[in-house]
Amino acid sequence: MRCNFCEWRCELGNGSPGVCRMYVEEGGVIRERFPYRWSSCIPSRVESVPFYHAWPGSRCLVIGTAGCNFRCRYCSNSFVAKQDPAMVQDGMIELTPPQLIRKAKQLGCHSIVFNVNEPAVSLPSLLELAVEARAAGMPMGCLTNAYTTEESTELLGTVFSFFNIGLKGLSDAFNRDYIGIPSAEPVLRNIRRLAALGHVEVTTPVIESANDGELEEIARFLADVDPEIPWHVFRLLPEDEMKEARYPNIDAIAGALEKIRGYLPHVYFHNFVGSDWVNTLCPGCGATVIERFSLGCGGDRLRSFDCRGNECPSCGRKIRLHGEKVPWNAGEVLP
Amino acid sequence: MSLAIIDAREWQRVFDLRTGAGVEEINPLLKMVMDIQARRPYPGDLDDAGNRWVTDTALDLIAGYDPSLVYLTYARQFFVGRYSVLTESEWAGMVSSVFEEVNRFVARSGFTPVIVGTGGMIPFVDFIDVTRLDGLVLSTHWSARYAGLHDGSRRDLQGLAALPEIERIVPRHEFRSLFGEYPGDDSRIPEYLLVARPGHMFRTVGGAFRKVRRVPAPAYAIPLAAESGVASSITDIRRLVVESLRERKIALIVVEGLGMDDFPWPHQRCENGRGWFYYEPGDAQYLTLTTGRHQVFEYPTGYKYFDEDAEKKEYPLSGYFTSVPADTIASGLGVRSVAVGNRSMLMHMAPGADISIECFARNLFNQGTMAVIHRMDKK
Ligand code: SF4
Repeated sequence: MRCNFCEWRCELGNGSPGVCRMYVEEGGVIRERFPYRWSSCIPSRVESVPFYHAWPGSRCLVIGTAGCNFRCRYCSNSFVAKQDPAMVQDGMIELTPPQLIRKAKQLGCHSIVFNVNEPAVSLPSLLELAVEARAAGMPMGCLTNAYTTEESTELLGTVFSFFNIGLKGLSDAFNRDYIGIPSAEPVLRNIRRLAALGHVEVTTPVIESANDGELEEIARFLADVDPEIPWHVFRLLPEDEMKEARYPNIDAIAGALEKIRGYLPHVYFHNFVGSDWVNTLCPGCGATVIERFSLGCGGDRLRSFDCRGNECPSCGRKIRLHGEKVPWNAGEVLP
Repeated sequence: MSLAIIDAREWQRVFDLRTGAGVEEINPLLKMVMDIQARRPYPGDLDDAGNRWVTDTALDLIAGYDPSLVYLTYARQFFVGRYSVLTESEWAGMVSSVFEEVNRFVARSGFTPVIVGTGGMIPFVDFIDVTRLDGLVLSTHWSARYAGLHDGSRRDLQGLAALPEIERIVPRHEFRSLFGEYPGDDSRIPEYLLVARPGHMFRTVGGAFRKVRRVPAPAYAIPLAAESGVASSITDIRRLVVESLRERKIALIVVEGLGMDDFPWPHQRCENGRGWFYYEPGDAQYLTLTTGRHQVFEYPTGYKYFDEDAEKKEYPLSGYFTSVPADTIASGLGVRSVAVGNRSMLMHMAPGADISIECFARNLFNQGTMAVIHRMDKK
C-alpha cells in the first residue's frame, strides 16, 4: 500500500518502513508508528524559528518528532531527524493533543510551531493537535521542506496557518547530492500553493560552492510567487557529514543579496551571531520598522516593533504581517 | 561599559554587552583580543581539540595582557561524557588528555595552579517522566538531579512521593532555610524542588532532546589541588586564591565532570554544598566558587527563565543572566585578570575577569567565540 504523505510515495507493507520510517501499513491503513511522541516541547521566541513576519514578539511552543523524508548532508538535527526513529523513542515526551495544549498554556505560549524535523512524517498526530489548538484559540505554524504531495499539502494547509518553507536549492544535481531527492519541483509547486493558503516565509541555507550560485534564481522565483515573501538566507554552519566544510563568506553573500532587495524587499541574512541583516525595512520609504537581534542558532529576538498596527509609521505603507505584535508575557491570545 | 566581541569566523562585531547596541570604535586592546579570536576559532564542544583551544587561547591572552589571575574552564570531557557512548578506557583516555592540557598550560604559563573538579560523572540509568503532571515541572538544561514543580496538585505530590527514583521533595521554605536567610526575592524559586536519586534525570517539557549517557555523580565533596593553601569548602576557594595572589600569579582552573576519584594530582576534599544539597556543574556552582558565598537562588533550578526573556531584556548575549553578578573573584581585584573556557556565558559572568574569551555554543551548536572586556583601565 502506498503512503501519499510525501512525494516519495513509499510502498509500505511487508515490513517496509518507507524513507522516513515513521509510518506502517496495518490492515489496509497507513498508521503512524509513534503517535503523540515529541522530541521537543520548548517555549521559544517566534523570531528564533525563524518567523519574522508572523505574530512578532510572541512566545511559541516549539515541537518536533523524529525522522525525516530528506537526507540533508549538513543536517543540524541529525541526532533526531536522521536516526532510526525507533532508536530514539526512549528520549521522547509522550503527550496527547489535549495534554500538549495544556502544557503550551502553562508555559505561556501563544502559538505552537512544529520545528526540528518534517511535519509530513507525523501528519495524523498534527491533524488531531490542530483540532485541539483551534478549540483553544492557538495558531499553529511549521517549518517544512514542502516535499508533500498535492493532497497532503492541502492537509498541511488545514493544520497550519503560517509556514517557513526550506527551499534548499534548485538544480537537480544539488538536490540529489546534498538533499537526497531527485528534484525541487514539488517544493516549488507547494510554495505557490501554501502561499495561497496561508502566510509563507522561505529559508535557504547557503553552502559555499554548492548553491551560492543559485541565489538570484531562487529570489526571482520567490518574487514571481509574491514579491513580499520574507526570505531567510542562512549562513550554513555545516554539521553532520559536512562538519569540515568551509563556513560561507559573509561579505560575499551579503553583497549578492543587496542587489536582490530591489525586487524582493524582505531578504534577511542570518544564522550567525550579530548579523547586520535582520531588520525589516519599509519597502516604501526604507525606514526601519522592526528591529531584531540575531544570536545565530541561539535564537533571534525582537528588539523593537515600530509599525503602527501593520503600517510603516513614516509613510503609512502596509508591512507584510501575519497576526499582530504580541507581548512576550501575554500568554495565550485568541487570534 | 562592558564590551562583547563576537567572532563568527571571518566576521567580527563589537557590542555593548548590556544593551546589545553596536560599537564602532576599536582601540588597541580590543584589536589585540580580536586578533586572538581570529587566530583561535573554537573547534566545537565535542571536538578533540576543544580543550586545546582553552590552553592556546589563554596563553595568547596572557602574552597580550599580562594578567596576574587567570580563570580557566576545561569542559570538553563533560560534554562528550554526557552524550557519547564511551568504554572505560576511552573515558580514562579523555581524562588523561585534559590533565595533559592543564599541565601544558601550567608549564608554559608559569602560573601557580589551583585546580578544582566540579564533580564526577556516572552512567545514566533512566528518566523520571514528569511531563504529564497537573502542574509544570521545569529543569535546567545541564541539571539531572534537580527540577522545580510549579502549581502542583495534591495528586501530583502524592504520585511523586510514591516514585522510588525520587530522593526527596523539598518545599520552597525548607529549601530556603537550608541556606539560612536569603535576602533576595524568592518568587523565582519553584514551590517544590524535586531531587532525583543518582543516575536518574527528570524528563521535563522545556528540556533539550539528546540521548544522555552520563549524568553528574553524587558530589557532596569535590577535589581541590592547591599547593598554596587549604580550603575545606567551595565557598573558601576564593579566599585561598586571593591570599595566594599576594605572592604569585595564580591560575584558578576548573575541570568539568571530574570528581574525587578522577583527580591524578594530590588533592584536598572540599565541601560542595550543604546537607543533602550538592551543586551540579553549572551557574550556581560557578558563582559559589567565584563569590565565596552560596548562590543557590539567583537562578534557581527549575525557575521560569523564559518569563524574563522579553524583548527589553538586557544582556542579550548572556543567555538567562539578567545582570553581571556582583562581587565575583576578579571584579574587585586591583591586579589584571583574564578568563578563558568552553562553558559559554559562565566565562564572562562568573569570574568577572577584565577580559574573557569563551565559546559561543548553544546546545552544542558552535557559533564561534565571544570575548568580553569588562574593564580596560588597569595599569
Ligand atoms: S511520509 Fe514517509 S513513508 Fe510516507 S511517502 Fe514520505 S517518506 Fe515515505
